[in-house]
Amino acid sequence: MSAYRPEFEAALRLFAHLSEAMKARGFSAPILVGGGAVELYSLSAITSGDFDIVTACQEEFERELLRLGFTKPVGLGHTPLGWAHPELRLGFEIVSATLLDGMADRDRIVLIDLGVDGEAAIISVEDMIADRMGQYASGAAPEMLEQARRLFALHADADRDYMERRIRHESAGEYGIADLET
Amino acid sequence: MASRTSKPKQAIPLAEFAADIERRRLATGVTDLPRNPGTRRTPSKKALLKAIEAAGGNW
Repeated sequence: MSAYRPEFEAALRLFAHLSEAMKARGFSAPILVGGGAVELYSLSAITSGDFDIVTACQEEFERELLRLGFTKPVGLGHTPLGWAHPELRLGFEIVSATLLDGMADRDRIVLIDLGVDGEAAIISVEDMIADRMGQYASGAAPEMLEQARRLFALHADADRDYMERRIRHESAGEYGIADLET
Repeated sequence: MASRTSKPKQAIPLAEFAADIERRRLATGVTDLPRNPGTRRTPSKKALLKAIEAAGGNW
């Protein structure tokens, strides 16, 4: 096991397994975004409640989830996008068909090698920070500024030109890298 | 690692990735990040997290 909390690593391995199944059937690999990606980039300095997934192949991904024993939660708030595994006690939610509305550079996606479980595709840290700044700029998520700043502190050698463009886009021009450095 | 992660040519072993982040944490002193308070969760997210919790999940 790695330095990540065991529950997180188990979910990451399952995600890699799902990704390999998708690729074996000729579909593109799903991508981990959101809090799960932040947890990966911070070594569990923050813990995520579940895994947010981007996939353009929702039906095929859900077929693989079913094969692995995932079920859809029932009751109030139920939508077809969330899946839980009752025995492994973890959840995946399909949040989008495109990576940050198609604005993220897919060539920057990070691949994590999980050995026999396969590879997991993760949104780039630059796009993750830009996403946080976009949420902050919306006014609804004030804590995201500090989350973005600490992620940037951890990854200060990220591609600054790309990140500047992405933060500007996600925040409608309001913020940039300078706002992470103050 | 971020420069590597920006132009991925091959997958990075998890242990190597974790060791790199650990080095960064030690160098910067960043050991925690502010959490989302959970007040903006969608009904779908609430239902999913409730299901995980009901199953005994420790997330």
